[in-house]
Amino acid sequence: MINIVGKTKYAYIFSVIVTVLSILSLFFWGLKYDIDFTGGTRMVIKFANEIPAKDEITGLLSEMNLNSLTLQNSENNSMVVRYASEDDKTNVDVWAKINEKYTDATQSSVDFFNSSVSGELKSKSINALVLAIMAIMAYIAWAFRKVSRPVESWKYGAGAVIALAHDILITTGVFSLLGHFYGIEIGIPFIAALLTILGFSVHDTIVVYDRTRENLLRSSSKTPFPEVVNQSLNETLVRSINTSLTVIITLLAMYIFGGVSIKYFALALLVGVGFGTYSSIFIATALLVTSYELTLKYKK
Amino acid sequence: MKNMNIKRKLQLKFAGVVVLFVVCGLYAYPQAVARFAPAYNFFDKFKINLGLDLQGGFHLEYKADVSKIDSAKVAEAMQGAQTVIERRVNAFGVGEPLVQISKSGNENRIIVELPGIKDIEAAKAKIKDAPLLEFKEEGPVNEQVKQMFDQSNAASKEKAQKILDEVKKGGDFAQLAKDNSEDPGSKDKGGDLDFVKKGAFVPEFDKILFESNLKPGDVYPQLVESQYGWHIIKFIESRGEGDALEVHSAHILFGKKDPSQYDQFKYQETGLTGKNLKSATAQYSSGQGLGEPEVSLQFDDEGTKLFAELTKKNLNKQIAIFLDGELQIAPTVQVEITNGQAVITGGYTFKTAKDIADRLNQGALPVPLTLVGQQSVEATLGADSLKSILIAGAIGLAAVIVFMLIFYRFLGLVASLALLIYTVLMITIFKMTGITLTLSGIAGFVLSIGMAVDANILIFERTKEEIRGGRTIANSLEEGFRRAWTSIRDGNVSSLLTAGILYLMGTGFVKGFAAALFIGVVVSMFTAVVITRTMLKVIISDWIHGRTWLVGVRKSDVSD
Repeated sequence: MINIVGKTKYAYIFSVIVTVLSILSLFFWGLKYDIDFTGGTRMVIKFANEIPAKDEITGLLSEMNLNSLTLQNSENNSMVVRYASEDDKTNVDVWAKINEKYTDATQSSVDFFNSSVSGELKSKSINALVLAIMAIMAYIAWAFRKVSRPVESWKYGAGAVIALAHDILITTGVFSLLGHFYGIEIGIPFIAALLTILGFSVHDTIVVYDRTRENLLRSSSKTPFPEVVNQSLNETLVRSINTSLTVIITLLAMYIFGGVSIKYFALALLVGVGFGTYSSIFIATALLVTSYELTLKYKK
Repeated sequence: MKNMNIKRKLQLKFAGVVVLFVVCGLYAYPQAVARFAPAYNFFDKFKINLGLDLQGGFHLEYKADVSKIDSAKVAEAMQGAQTVIERRVNAFGVGEPLVQISKSGNENRIIVELPGIKDIEAAKAKIKDAPLLEFKEEGPVNEQVKQMFDQSNAASKEKAQKILDEVKKGGDFAQLAKDNSEDPGSKDKGGDLDFVKKGAFVPEFDKILFESNLKPGDVYPQLVESQYGWHIIKFIESRGEGDALEVHSAHILFGKKDPSQYDQFKYQETGLTGKNLKSATAQYSSGQGLGEPEVSLQFDDEGTKLFAELTKKNLNKQIAIFLDGELQIAPTVQVEITNGQAVITGGYTFKTAKDIADRLNQGALPVPLTLVGQQSVEATLGADSLKSILIAGAIGLAAVIVFMLIFYRFLGLVASLALLIYTVLMITIFKMTGITLTLSGIAGFVLSIGMAVDANILIFERTKEEIRGGRTIANSLEEGFRRAWTSIRDGNVSSLLTAGILYLMGTGFVKGFAAALFIGVVVSMFTAVVITRTMLKVIISDWIHGRTWLVGVRKSDVSD
């Protein structure tokens, strides 16, 4: 049997470092929001032959005085043009300007969000996140209502929630870094990924807790609590890792082969599921043991 | 006897699984029986409903400006706009367009979804291009408009008088004409009108030239009013006699404007607009020989009523049809029309008749719309996305199967079969329900393939444990299914909760993903638990006894 609980210290140190780094990155660099949150336009233009130099496009559009114009080359002779916009006329004008010079170019996709729509999407996303967190917490409280000895059921809930916060924070932190260094933006798909991670991470934690609950009911009261937890962890280790692995396999397939549109969505899920698996094995249960030991100390 | 029953039930269940696999498999992949036409046609009936991001197309969100509409009539106006846009996009003739009204806070919105679009901007322009269609009748000019014209005419007359005074004081007629005349044909020539015979000009003008006995060089001392305005007239010379008499004159014109000269003031609003038009078609008039091209109009119920009243009221008068404030045609009403049909003729070629019909069909929007959101994907990019995600899905599925075979051997094989059943069952569900499958939806489906085996892994790991604990394989499996169930249930509830919330959040990307994930989790619980269990129960009997390598357990690990 591997003594996982005994190595709690290292897991804590690792998690605290990564979490603090995530918070620092979020604090200093923040997140790069996509146009579905900020409002604006993203136009993917496919050129017939070669992608023109960015300077040419910038020059072409210079007299329009577009705010926060960025250009980025993409697959298939395409260029992604982004700018702040409030009115569809801007989009028509931009395309007219480009099409005038590059008559063979076509618009592969155009996404445009007026600030009223993006504001609405933003508040909808926040609502969904808050609602999901509350629903998950209520569910955890319900799922562990029957466990009582020797750790109160709300502590299971608290442990699961801390593990969740940990996963979400780190995933967001990773995307803050990606945003700062690679210009990767987060939008609605990222929120969808976060919510999926919420569901998945709890799923994993519940499997481990479930076994702890079962072992507690079966074991004699003489077996020390940390030992029961460690035994449960060992028993569920392979299946925790395997269930996550099958999900990671499909996510990797999507990240590598699934195309640009889905790539960073898959990446967000990969990061979240990876840390979610880690946290349900090393953090969620360790928290139970730590809180148990703290209670013992106080009682003395 | 009881045993027989259980066995019988199990066989039935197993047969059910096989039938499910075959039927769903054929629905999912009807090409398998492509050579047998009747079967192929039967199973090919349902098609996957691909989202706009995969087949190309756009999602447009318009904000309606209802500030000028009575709040009680907003809903009606929005419905009118919906109908007009529907008519317009239906004319594109591609895919199945969707036009719906939505309310977001206080804002009234119209959402337009159009699949299979190649040229994004051109299609958008067609929707946006909003001709305003109005039916007007002859009637007294609006009081306000009249006053406006009267004022401007009075000022014109005043100015004319002032210039006349200057001419009388000896001012240069030609120069004054150049500077002030509103007759574009003569002003640059100093007002010169050359020689004319009697009857060439309006009667008021003619009378001065031919009957007032002016001498060469004389200016008529008063302003002369005609339908064009006020003239200052100078008699220059004359030649010829009698009928051949010609007069050479010059004039300075100060224009007078009559609202009835202007189409937009001459005709008055009737309340009948494009929103009441059902359709317009170009056709040849019936009758002998080849008829004349004409435009036939059909009103909706309200329009029929309005049009009947209108024609009754305007018998033998004109009804004018305006598009974008421009008079198109003003046919004279011959008879009261109660069937909501009207025909417009006017010496058209068939092409102009068709153009007019097309323009009328485009109709007019009862509320002004502003685009506030757009997501559009050109068709080939959509096809590329579809290809990539399908490849990713196939690779993901294959990799999960390999993984299961390596870790769980024989059990993995059964789980993989269950996973295949899961896959074809999901595809069948997508086909039958017609759920729109977006890129994110397929992503949710692919992800659910990875999650679908979760339950199997939970069960098999539990089974392995029980085997190591010394139970027989068959017994351990039974135990594994029984004990893993609470974990499976509890774990999946959390996934269902978040998927449900995601779905309610309700934007395109999220909705497709959440729906696929939600259905996937529910279906996978069924396939991973019920189907795997049925298959294993039928297949596993005494033969597997002791062959623990088949389920991935080393003999040395088994305790006695």
